Amino acid sequence: MQFGIFSVSDVTTDPTTGRTPDDTERVRSMLTIARHADAAGLDVFATGEHHNPPFVASSPTTLLGYLAAATENIVLSTSTTLITTNDPVKIAEDYAMLQVISDGRMDLMLGRGNTGPVYPWFGQDIRQGIPLAIENYALLRRLWEEDVVDWEGRFRTPLQGFTATPRPLDGVPPYVWHGSIRSPEIAEQAGYYGDGFFHNNIFWPMSHTKKMVNFYRQRFEHYGHGRADQAIVGLGGQVFMRKNSQDAWNEFRPYFDNAPVYGHGPSMEEFTATTPLTVGSPQQVIERYASMRDDVGDYQRQLFLIDHAGLPLKTVLEQIDMLAEEVVPVLRKEMETKRPAHVPANPPSHAERAAARLEDAQTRNENEARDEIHA
Amino acid sequence: MRDGDVSVVALSAGLRQPSSTRMLADRLGQATLSALDAHGVTATAETVEVREIAHDVVNAMLTGFPAGGLPEALEKVTHASGLIAVTPVFGTSYSGLFKSFMDVLEPDSLTGMPVLLGATGGTPRHSLALDYAMRPLFAYLHADAVSTTVFAATDDWAGDGDTENPLPERIERAGRELAERIMRTDRTGPADLYDDVPSLDQMLRP
Repeated sequence: MQFGIFSVSDVTTDPTTGRTPDDTERVRSMLTIARHADAAGLDVFATGEHHNPPFVASSPTTLLGYLAAATENIVLSTSTTLITTNDPVKIAEDYAMLQVISDGRMDLMLGRGNTGPVYPWFGQDIRQGIPLAIENYALLRRLWEEDVVDWEGRFRTPLQGFTATPRPLDGVPPYVWHGSIRSPEIAEQAGYYGDGFFHNNIFWPMSHTKKMVNFYRQRFEHYGHGRADQAIVGLGGQVFMRKNSQDAWNEFRPYFDNAPVYGHGPSMEEFTATTPLTVGSPQQVIERYASMRDDVGDYQRQLFLIDHAGLPLKTVLEQIDMLAEEVVPVLRKEMETKRPAHVPANPPSHAERAAARLEDAQTRNENEARDEIHA
Repeated sequence: MRDGDVSVVALSAGLRQPSSTRMLADRLGQATLSALDAHGVTATAETVEVREIAHDVVNAMLTGFPAGGLPEALEKVTHASGLIAVTPVFGTSYSGLFKSFMDVLEPDSLTGMPVLLGATGGTPRHSLALDYAMRPLFAYLHADAVSTTVFAATDDWAGDGDTENPLPERIERAGRELAERIMRTDRTGPADLYDDVPSLDQMLRP
């Protein structure tokens, strides 16, 4: 199972000091955080994509392209790449380029975005969010899978004889996750293609997450990609840890109370009870997250939000160390013990998918050769 | 009318204890039950006090998901056979708390719901708030509001309110209308998120 971190890239005033980083400092913090996560041994770093302050991550592949060179092992991903307002042709090009540069150490998560005005800013209509996600992804897949594409749809200029370059590494398109919180249509899409499904449940009660993940699993099986429990699932999470639970509560409370998303709303007590936010000792985090599989089944990727709400860089790096040293090894072991053998431990890696493709091609060649002999 | 249990749910947005809004909601509920009973229909009555879940309503607006006591209240209101909605009139309209509750309902969750509208206020001069504020709100939600609404001014609770058409008679008539509407409706509750998910093929070829 993969454990990693995902960032929304918010520039937020530290409520305990009143200090606000500028955009440059925040972008560089993200680079430091990703490199630190890689060095600490976490499996995934994912960046959001936003086109409005207070967020700085407008250009994921530039950020991840740099990180591909500056890190060793960590899988570089997105949370999410906007399939609605980006041109699918540009997504095909940018992420194939990232795939080649990182030697396959990447994947991406597609999402629709949650900021209304981004749609008109990029010339789209928010009421077409789902149709855009469906059509754009259908085109994106063809651009990766077919060398020459003729295409016509509702939302984009038609293409005649178009080839997206660079061609995907080893002829294998980047692995795709579909992220959605409230739209079963997107779970249907992920199930149809046999792609991964990520439910960012950090602001939602588990009862909701469970239903959506189950729906995806059923559709994955319906479309013949394997059994429902073999579908590839990722979850969001959110933690703040200190050795002593009470220290964690005291230190995190001002950040919680003033956080842009849930600040000034429910109390931290209420919010930790109804959502996966866990504030406490590493042991409490382990217990809480080890129980997630009870609701959604064995899953392959757990991402934690840790660098938000104005938390200082030093604190974020400490959280990464605690995750990597105290939480992940125990959680991984526990999940491994409980996972049945037929359920994949991880989302498919580039190497596995490239090997599978090679095997398919060999089988095909052998069959053709045999057919010729018999002909 | 749908098979099974018939439930009449009153949504009361009164703030004080005791509350004349709650009192009106209860009376309207009883009138509806009596009218159903006269048609041989046994029903249950429940009241949802918005005051008791006021913090959860605000939290849902801030976080985007219902928690605490709100999910149960939403379930009751949206699955009722008939809904009685009663608010005090504040500054010419429904109270902010009442509107906040309406704002955290899923957009389609009251479609086709038989509804009886009621309001309370200090004087009868506020009674039109029912028709220029409450009724358009429920029309927007595609709820099915009966034509009679009941406004109870402070004086209505004694004999010197409207002597021609006193409060008990208005309540009785309104309850009768809601009962008849409930009996003519076969709404089975709000649509489930997973009921009609189109297949990808349908989405690719709209």
